[in-house]
Amino acid sequence: MIAVELHKLVRSRRTWITVALLNALPTLVAVLLAVTDLGPRPGTGPAFLSAVLADGKLFPLAAIAIVLPLFLPVAVAVVASEAIAGEAQEGTLRYVLTRPVGRTRLLVAKLVSIVAFVVIAVLVVAVSAYVVGTLLLGDQQGVASTSVSGTALSTEELAWRTGLSLAYATLSMLGVAAIALFLSTVAESPLAAALGTIAALIASTLLLTLEAATSLHPYLPTRYWLSFVDLFRDPILWRNVGRGTALQAAYVVVFLGAAWANFTTKDITD
Amino acid sequence: MALALLIGVPIGIRVLPRGDVTITASALLDRIEGSRDLSYSGYIETLGTLQLPVADNFTDVGELFGERTRIRAWWRDADEWRVDKLLATGETDIFRDASGTTLWDYEKSRLTRTVDADIRLPRASDLLPPELAHRLLADVDRADLSRLPTERIAGRDAPGLRLSPGASQSSVDHVDVWADPDTGLAVRVEVFAKGAETAALTTRFMSLSLEKPSLSTTSFSIAPGAEVEYDEVIDIAAAANLYAPLKPPNVLAGLSRSSSSRKLRAVGVYGAGVTQLIAIPLGDRAAAPLREKLRLTPGAQALVAGDFLQVGPLNVLLTRFRWIDSGWLITGTVTRATLLRAGRQLDGEIVYLGSRDPP
Repeated sequence: MIAVELHKLVRSRRTWITVALLNALPTLVAVLLAVTDLGPRPGTGPAFLSAVLADGKLFPLAAIAIVLPLFLPVAVAVVASEAIAGEAQEGTLRYVLTRPVGRTRLLVAKLVSIVAFVVIAVLVVAVSAYVVGTLLLGDQQGVASTSVSGTALSTEELAWRTGLSLAYATLSMLGVAAIALFLSTVAESPLAAALGTIAALIASTLLLTLEAATSLHPYLPTRYWLSFVDLFRDPILWRNVGRGTALQAAYVVVFLGAAWANFTTKDITD
Repeated sequence: MALALLIGVPIGIRVLPRGDVTITASALLDRIEGSRDLSYSGYIETLGTLQLPVADNFTDVGELFGERTRIRAWWRDADEWRVDKLLATGETDIFRDASGTTLWDYEKSRLTRTVDADIRLPRASDLLPPELAHRLLADVDRADLSRLPTERIAGRDAPGLRLSPGASQSSVDHVDVWADPDTGLAVRVEVFAKGAETAALTTRFMSLSLEKPSLSTTSFSIAPGAEVEYDEVIDIAAAANLYAPLKPPNVLAGLSRSSSSRKLRAVGVYGAGVTQLIAIPLGDRAAAPLREKLRLTPGAQALVAGDFLQVGPLNVLLTRFRWIDSGWLITGTVTRATLLRAGRQLDGEIVYLGSRDPP
């Protein structure tokens, strides 16, 4: 079942079109930076973008910072919302469940497929950004990168901190995927599930700008998304990364549990 | 269930009743004053609600007093420390050692080495709870102190202290300070303006360690290839003190020049603790953009004495010398009447350095 879902994911044109679109914006940004040699003013652009003109090896991080607030979660929401509601809308869910597979196994297979999409999307964005960054932007061969705190980062340090950042970004998107998967078991159409997920994320982002909602901030799904920047401080600030990891884990457990409870007890008519 | 636990457990811990620490206000003040040489490190959050009309040449004063700021601090002693102001996309750091101060700005990729100025604008290190508490509780009248209930702050039961200044010139209603009962290290400070229900400025440790941080953490190790700039003039206040030709009086609006500021050349600092004001002579290039910002700020008033603004407990007056834009920037936690009196006095008693003749 899992193999079938993964096969469907990899063979789907929509998967690769989505991944390609995700890469389009960082690539355009890299080209514009390379042509104009104009970085963002301090405090105005995404994280690391001001540094990539001097050090293209940091562009994977800048690319993640570019897509993480909007494009990546929208892509994940759309793909995850298709999982159950998409089958139901096409009228195939009833037939899928006539096969000798349990609903839990089907849900797990859908979940693995969504996780695979998130991993593929993050990795492709990072790898293509590395290639674009080192080709078009600052090339500091043999020179150490600089941490946010101004200290030197060896290639090994840069590599494992970047790897940790990508893992953190992936985990952050799994929270989105869990919400979308739950809504996919509730809504009749994938569009409604995706819009519901995006609405939740927009609400979270809006509340984060509101001082009156400070007490809610630690529980909002988007609160710690960009905390991967803290992995590039020296010494590393684990506080928000740890909290972000725990929060995303809680969202994943809660919404996957809700999705499982809803899907396994639901009357399937489509 | 997991989400309910995630939300409920921290809230439950916060609302659990805490046993009060038995200590008098005066004894707590003694412990706070005795904590000056303590080493510590921690994560601090500050919240300023003052919308200051500061121009670009006032560094990050507007952000520090008008926004939420995240800070990391490693404090070995008064001569060796590091304070990082954390930003979503970078950080600005201050490294202090015996020979001076190093400033690092990640987004500007700028490393600046400076000598210690006799006077400077406020910066992130001034908002550390222990530093702010020492400043606000300086020369305090113990009759103005009272105890506050113990609060749980940074994992410690911290007894509180309230300072309600008796000085009629102060615009501060009260200052609340909570401190570690064993060491006296201030862990939270709140400043309230007269008539205000919410704090104008709050700074508190979110996590705290009393272990001495390592020297390697507080020392700046320059990344290969980084360029170092050397700057003797750290900000507009330091520049005014170095180059302005005016001499501040020894007593201003009834407040004496503070003993620590008597060595200053052109800038005057008056009063102590929560009743303080500073007078900075600004040339037209510095005063003009500030005056423009000041006039665009809601609540600003164009008075005979100059352009005036009240922001929480802070009053600001920018005077004007005859027909040019130069003037005294007078600001502090004093009442409007005190500030206007200071403005009139400074305009009426212009004393040039090296001469007592008027222009």
